[in-house]
Amino acid sequence: MIKVKADALQGTANILNKNGNHALLAMFGADERATSGKLAIYCLFAHPDKRDVDILKAEFDKNEDSYESLTSVIPASAWYEREIFDMFGLKPKNHPDLRPLVLHENFPEGFHPLLKTEPVDKQIRGTREYEMAVSKGEGLFEVPVGPIHAGIIEPGHFRFSQAGESMLQLDAKLFFTHRGIEKAMEGKTPFEALAMAERICGACSIANTWSYCQAVEKIAGVTVPKKAEIIRTLLLEMERLYNHVGDLGNIPAGVGFSPAISLGNKLKELLMRCNEVVTGNRFLRGMLIPGGVKFDLTEEIVTQVLATLEDVEKGFLDLVQMMEEQDEFKDRIRTTGILRYSTAKDLAMVGVGARASGIKADSRKDFKYGIYDELDFALITKEVGDVEARIQVRIEETKETLKLVRQLIEKWRTTLDVQLICEVPLKAGQAWGVTESARGNNVHWITLDDNGKIDRIFIRSASYPNWPGVAIATNGDIIPDFPLINKSFELCYACIDR
Amino acid sequence: MDIIMQNLGYSFLQAFLLLAFAPLITGIIKKVKARLQNRIGSSIFQEYLDVYKWWRKPTILTPETSIIFIIAPFVYFATTFLAALMLPNLLGGKVAFGDVFVFVYILAIGRFFMALSSMDAATAFGGMGGSREIYISVLVEPAIMLAILSNLLRSGSTMLGNMAFDYTGVAFSVATVLTCIAFFAILIAENSRIPVDNPDTHLELTMIHECMLLEYSGRLLSLIHLTSMFKLAMFLVLFSMIYLPIELPLVLKVLLSAVSVSIIETLNNKMRLFKVPVYIATTMILLVLAIVAQ
Repeated sequence: MIKVKADALQGTANILNKNGNHALLAMFGADERATSGKLAIYCLFAHPDKRDVDILKAEFDKNEDSYESLTSVIPASAWYEREIFDMFGLKPKNHPDLRPLVLHENFPEGFHPLLKTEPVDKQIRGTREYEMAVSKGEGLFEVPVGPIHAGIIEPGHFRFSQAGESMLQLDAKLFFTHRGIEKAMEGKTPFEALAMAERICGACSIANTWSYCQAVEKIAGVTVPKKAEIIRTLLLEMERLYNHVGDLGNIPAGVGFSPAISLGNKLKELLMRCNEVVTGNRFLRGMLIPGGVKFDLTEEIVTQVLATLEDVEKGFLDLVQMMEEQDEFKDRIRTTGILRYSTAKDLAMVGVGARASGIKADSRKDFKYGIYDELDFALITKEVGDVEARIQVRIEETKETLKLVRQLIEKWRTTLDVQLICEVPLKAGQAWGVTESARGNNVHWITLDDNGKIDRIFIRSASYPNWPGVAIATNGDIIPDFPLINKSFELCYACIDR
Repeated sequence: MDIIMQNLGYSFLQAFLLLAFAPLITGIIKKVKARLQNRIGSSIFQEYLDVYKWWRKPTILTPETSIIFIIAPFVYFATTFLAALMLPNLLGGKVAFGDVFVFVYILAIGRFFMALSSMDAATAFGGMGGSREIYISVLVEPAIMLAILSNLLRSGSTMLGNMAFDYTGVAFSVATVLTCIAFFAILIAENSRIPVDNPDTHLELTMIHECMLLEYSGRLLSLIHLTSMFKLAMFLVLFSMIYLPIELPLVLKVLLSAVSVSIIETLNNKMRLFKVPVYIATTMILLVLAIVAQ
């Protein structure tokens, strides 16, 4: 860990970032006034060669409450800095867009909920300005969409600045259902807070829980039994499978291509029922715990999984064929919603969205966790960055994942280990955890205090760095294409409403 | 005079019958679509229940709206009904009036009022819906004219009634088949179906026709939906009477064309908004070919 003074944050971060080659994984504040008497900002940078993370910590003296913004040198930090300003009141100087991010107009100015001086159960109501970013000019108009949508999805407000049908600018107002999970977890032991970690998001429950467990295990300094690692890896791949298949089936909904929608829904349902057989929960919850897994699989379950895989694979190939043979569909997805390589890199985007634009990043390869090093799978990237590229990345990754699940079941069958869980002693410390969810890497940072209770947890799901990318990918397209572009990224609202 | 009144009476009767069966036709289209997509789908009588449901609900008006907003659904209904009166009369006698040019432009009045009403509530979406609807109708109008012209050459009359009655062409001549395909494509565009518009989704950003109705509720909405179904039924009947070169009882022909709509909606996805001109241009080329082939 590199510790610097607040005024050296920008310079040091710029060196560690290596022109964006060492992507900014996360940036967050922490209130450490109880221990060191200071507020701090942490930055995590990926270090691909070492397969590790560089940690940068900037400390703020008592009278300091501002620092030079990183956004001009690391554009990816824009959202993180706005969030830190909302949550801790640490002001980034010369930030290009310092509107509130998390706290909307129904919160008063000067309220910073993650400071330890604010009680967790504080009732608060107030008003402040929240302006949407819009383009103004002759003949331009705004189209507001949401936060309540015509469908069963989560809340998000989109403001389009339109010139006729063309989208000039899109501003997304998210964080509507901020749950305060990070604050609520403080003061609990990692085991008490486990259920909350599992429920950060429905679609990436395993990825979040595993990142969380990794951090806790690193602090404790324990190594998880081999068999538990196999089962965890299997669960993560099953999660990727149902997400990718479901997302692929949902993209045609953006263009009313109904046979593909029906088939996609059917396949997703088959997989989710299979999930229920494995862990007793359709979202695979209830299996992971710091130290290992709670229970083992049985041969009977595994046979059922393999049978489902067989059915799903057949249906999936049908779905792929259906999409590839439909010229009208191809016409809609090609050249729509292009995200350039440079944009994806500047925003440190992750997952399918980044790989479809040519960024070679996949935490399963970039970091050491689970038993991915023993498995045979390919890193899928495409160059174009349009909706079609994102669909192709998903299709090929699904094929890889089908292979992976079979490999993992074979590993599970042949492993001689029987131990599923190890003791995790709770002590003071700090650590990060990272896993590759279906949408990209989920990063968790945990600080435990002397009693082994959570002092600070920061959760950065894959959707967080990708949302600003969606707004940029829409530029130049027409507004009827937005649902399609949005679905091709398929980002999560709950993941950022943490 | 009596005969004219009698014929008009028959026309009214026929139009009312069509109105009564219109929701059933839409219901059948929806049911067939659902079955084709491995879904069970709702009952074929669901549309009647929907119309009744909206009918019972109160109408909410925003303070910004003017009288246009209230009269537009009535104009839409009235013009569609008037157009339906011009259909060839199957119950007996000839139609008293029913020039095709009048038919096309009476429908245009209805659409014009709906587009006006979409801007009335001053929401961003409504205006976009209105602009898209007009954009498509501008394209469709000359195509309909060509379709009429193609038939005009054969029947020598611009009366819809005469067109149907004098239609004695060979079932499968090149011209009739081309006109048939082209008119069906026009029917799909005119009635906001896939691939031009999507009547199912409420993805508000991609809609065309539904986009204009976002501010409507209660009885006014009920009337608009009923009229849309009525218009679709009317076009299917017109298509079956004049353009479908197959010898079958009319009811079967209408059913056949309704099922064709379902199949086309299942096989296709919605096209890019700015590709619609290409689609319409294709139908126009077909029609030109049909005219040349005569």
